[in-house]
Amino acid sequence: MAEAVQVQLKKGVLELCVLALLSSHDSYAYEIASRLAEGIDMGEGTIYPLMRRMQSDGLVETYLVESPSGPPRKYYKLTEAGKASFVAQKAEWAAFSRAVENILGDA
Amino acid sequence: MNRQAFIDRLRLGLSGLPAAAINEAVADYEAHFAEGAAAGRTEDEVAAALGDPARLARELRAEIGLKKWEETRNPTSAAGAIFAVLGLGAIDVLVLLPILMAVGGTIFGCIVAAVGVFVAGGVVFAAGPFFDPPGGPAAALLAGIGLMALASSAAAVLTIIVVGMVNALVWYGRLHYRLLKPAIDPAQAQA
Repeated sequence: MAEAVQVQLKKGVLELCVLALLSSHDSYAYEIASRLAEGIDMGEGTIYPLMRRMQSDGLVETYLVESPSGPPRKYYKLTEAGKASFVAQKAEWAAFSRAVENILGDA
Repeated sequence: MNRQAFIDRLRLGLSGLPAAAINEAVADYEAHFAEGAAAGRTEDEVAAALGDPARLARELRAEIGLKKWEETRNPTSAAGAIFAVLGLGAIDVLVLLPILMAVGGTIFGCIVAAVGVFVAGGVVFAAGPFFDPPGGPAAALLAGIGLMALASSAAAVLTIIVVGMVNALVWYGRLHYRLLKPAIDPAQAQA
């Protein structure tokens, strides 16, 4: 039960976390996955279906950068829609977590 | 599991999708292994951190299936979307299957009935006037046209119902399962 709750919570904030990481600087999937894996203990593989969906939703776009090690890296950057979505979701999250905190505080 | 075993299982899970989509997904994970190797991790460590390739394949498959349904509304993409949601394990198949079969069977029956009424209308329209019907030949013509119009409108209503149900299923799957829009997405909350 506790595990199921955790999984649901993480899924819910995954996109928000990716938007937040990309809002500070452009990044490539491996780096995003590593950050999320150490930060919120997500399976690294989950990032690829997520990035694909965010790209098809028009939140991010990609460009290639030569890599010192191996083939060129696919970098992701936020589109204007992605930036707007980040601002909106961040506010949603703040309001939501405040509401939960309030309720938990009373218990 | 090493890199090759991971990629093989991923390919197996994605088989049946367009080759371009498979190659793109495989390239993503190949790059991930290359990055991991550059960072000094073994193939087994990277594979373990990535997670189960069969499950990742199901998520990618579902994402592609749902996208297709949103872009083109036709029976093939509807079936694809339904199977994608089922494949995710998003809905308990044992619960859903009897419902789907009952609802699907009923709708199929209605569609057959609509086609039958349409054909019957055509027969009345074409052959009726020659068999001395009550009310004269004109009544048979009108009755035939009426039956065909009735069948057509019934079919249109059925189509709307089917599209609505597939949408509901997709919405449910999206709401409940990974890759799905976050639960706090305002658009979803209002849906």
